[in-house]
Amino acid sequence: MKNVMEKVLNQVVDKNAEADLMFSSSRSLKMSSQKGAISTFNVAGTQILGIRVIKDGRVGLSYTEAMDDESLSLMVSKALQNAETTVQNHDEKILNISGSISDELSLPEAEVDLALKTARAIELETEVRKLDPRVTSTPYNSYSEQDYLSHYLSTKGRFTTYKDKSYSVVSSAVMDEKGKKSSYYDFHTAHVYKDLNFKKVIDTAFFHAKNLLDEKALPTGKYNVRFTEDSLKSLIDCFSNFYSAKSAMDKMNPWASNIGEQVISKDLSITDHPTFERSFRTSKFDSEGVERKPLELIKDGVLKSLYHNSVTATHFKTQTTGHASRSATSPLGVYGTDLLIQGKNVKPLPDKYLEVIQMDGLYSGANRVTGDFSVAIKGYVWEYGKVVSTFGNITMSGKLMDMLKNVEVVGSEMKASTDESFFSVPLIFHGISVAGT
Amino acid sequence: MQLLKSTIANDVIFEGLAQGADFVDVFIERTHNDSMVFKNSRAEDIQSGTIFGVGIRLIYGEQSLYGYTNSIDREELLRITKLLGARIGKPGTPKTLNFEKLQYPVIPTLNDKEVDAKAKLAYLKKIDDRLRQDSKVSQVMLSFTKKKQLIEIYNSDGLFATEERPYIRLFHQLVMKDGDLQSEAFHGPGAIGGWEFVEKLNVEENCENLIKQATTTLYAAPCPGGKMPVVIDNGFGGVIFHEACGHLLETTSVEKKASVFWDKMGEQIAHTSVTALDDGTVPGAWGSLSIDDEGMPTQKTTLVENGILKRFISDRIGEMKTGHKRTGSGRRQSYKFAPASRMRNTYIAAGPHEFSDLITSVPNGIYAKKMGGGSVDPSTGQFNFSVQEAYLIENGKITRPVKGATLIGTGPEIMSRISMVGKNLELMAGMCGSVSGSIPTTVGQPALKVDEILVGGNA
Repeated sequence: MKNVMEKVLNQVVDKNAEADLMFSSSRSLKMSSQKGAISTFNVAGTQILGIRVIKDGRVGLSYTEAMDDESLSLMVSKALQNAETTVQNHDEKILNISGSISDELSLPEAEVDLALKTARAIELETEVRKLDPRVTSTPYNSYSEQDYLSHYLSTKGRFTTYKDKSYSVVSSAVMDEKGKKSSYYDFHTAHVYKDLNFKKVIDTAFFHAKNLLDEKALPTGKYNVRFTEDSLKSLIDCFSNFYSAKSAMDKMNPWASNIGEQVISKDLSITDHPTFERSFRTSKFDSEGVERKPLELIKDGVLKSLYHNSVTATHFKTQTTGHASRSATSPLGVYGTDLLIQGKNVKPLPDKYLEVIQMDGLYSGANRVTGDFSVAIKGYVWEYGKVVSTFGNITMSGKLMDMLKNVEVVGSEMKASTDESFFSVPLIFHGISVAGT
Repeated sequence: MQLLKSTIANDVIFEGLAQGADFVDVFIERTHNDSMVFKNSRAEDIQSGTIFGVGIRLIYGEQSLYGYTNSIDREELLRITKLLGARIGKPGTPKTLNFEKLQYPVIPTLNDKEVDAKAKLAYLKKIDDRLRQDSKVSQVMLSFTKKKQLIEIYNSDGLFATEERPYIRLFHQLVMKDGDLQSEAFHGPGAIGGWEFVEKLNVEENCENLIKQATTTLYAAPCPGGKMPVVIDNGFGGVIFHEACGHLLETTSVEKKASVFWDKMGEQIAHTSVTALDDGTVPGAWGSLSIDDEGMPTQKTTLVENGILKRFISDRIGEMKTGHKRTGSGRRQSYKFAPASRMRNTYIAAGPHEFSDLITSVPNGIYAKKMGGGSVDPSTGQFNFSVQEAYLIENGKITRPVKGATLIGTGPEIMSRISMVGKNLELMAGMCGSVSGSIPTTVGQPALKVDEILVGGNA
């Protein structure tokens, strides 16, 4: 593929322009079952190439899924044409770095027969049903595997390769008891087939669905709240613009002018870590080919840095932090890698608190500019170290910045989200508004 | 020009049938996308692209096998077909087909008028200038997207169908700031058609509404929480029916018994004042299609009539699994997805009441003027929606603006609690994400009064 990419870039150089290319391809298999038999079976192979052309300080973008010479030439000419319409932006350049770098994960594994994969995929449905007659369906169940490859190549000679193989399983349980319904789903992802944990997703989906059959609304009021790592990750991810220098440029980041100031509790520190040893996958370079290293975002509550690419770095007169993001079909932006939330001054757990295991409608109920959100929640009521009841049919609302100021660290060991991309010490948020009965 | 030679389509279908499939279809797509993002008072990103690929589906009984590729090479398509067929591994009876091109009534669309990039830029700049006349506006983000999708469908019944679908959408986002207070407002009209749709938009009215919405939210007090009556205004208010009921009527959910309505056909599932439709034939509407992505002419489907469940939204697989006839609703984002039963233009029909009747009937509650997004769990019917612009109703009158409101409940509950339906039906464009990807759909309704909903707020 590198030869094809070089040919495309030669066309750009002939037009006295510079450019970079993003190529990605994947081969995948996915199957799900219904009534004890495979009901859908999908195989796929796709590829896409996207170009960012810069000519006379003007940027144009284009992409194609067809890789014949005519389509590739059309992609280049369209990008050049698009560049003619944009205004000059001398902050955006192809970075002057060269050389090759790769991040390829290839773990040894034994060949697994398709028949075995199929039989085990069916278990993601049938084994849940066996657990309880009240399980009426498992609408979300699937086994999937994917080989993924991407390349970056620039007219400055930077070439990167990212290669990955992953497997994942999903199971769910819908339960019904006298017309009262509940549902829950779980997933697991691994780099090697034998590491997939089928039992964990089946048991977890069933466990929470069974408990949620008993969910009751809580009285409206203020509560102490603890999030599971998955829920907390969703909440923090929803407001990822708080760390984004691109959002700061676009006046969409409320922390834009708070570098060096205390923005959250002094007990918390937050780090972006592209190569954390417990992470599911490393991310050794960004979409401009810049090598990444851990970035301290918040230290003892003080905002230390935002995510930068080369454009935002030039704009704010600083250095790129290696957080450029771009796909074949999207313009240059910024995005983080894996987050670590560490804490100090560990306090004991409060006697009573809510544990949120599921949030619905977070993205539609959030204002990313102000940090306000309102979301439907489900979970468990804890009292004196025990679960005493299950709640649902209530909403929680708040302002993320205020919540992160009014938080207590209640444990020293970081726990991982299910996808192993987010790690946090246990936290308790105080005085969270809940609307219920 | 055909995207895929009929001889190659024939060979693929022949191979699929030889592999024992009961039914085979081939979906070919070439889509050109153009987009322009206008931000910080300038064109920031201008992008063009081509999506191209082929999806092959083999159906064995109720089992669907699907594969896709970017290639139209005969050998690659046959390789995928054999790979799919090998999963079942039974011999079949192939046949050579004489494809007959499907003739169908074409849904009227706007013309696919095109203008050059400078004209588009000038138009976006005009909106930007108008919005920034308000000194509290801190950011304006406008995006213009144009998509031209050309599809072809061949199947083992001998069908060959093709359709060209031009889509156009203009998205507005406004950020307003006053000291520490910040607010946002959105508007995203869209249609099947070209630039003439944009030319017909009322720039001044749209800008005024955006500024009013952002200003209202900027200074609004927190919304009170608890159960109360809610009047949901027309247009995008229809997202509640879409999420809380529409998804539950798709055979994709019904076939798995993952919908609370799966066994309710012919039963009263909503208040008698509610009649709801899913109509793929609305001229020029964002969710309209002449044929669905399985090559069936689309139709106007009455889902609920006077509160009684009349039809499900069904595709080929849905019909096979549930027995409910296809409704021309097999849809997908692209060739990368197998088709599934999906909504088109879905709305609650107009009723007898004036808007003022709805408001005066509420002693204390919420007026949800503009809804935001939301989601639903079809298996339980539980939904949640944010409200972008909301006001208190006190003693039958709209009084103060409030912010941060979320509505939660279940589809069956809310449908039974719609007690008054207004006259002012309006449709709005949106995007719907589900099993077959993100597709253009229209939501709509007249103003509705719901006797009780749990409102999430923080006051």
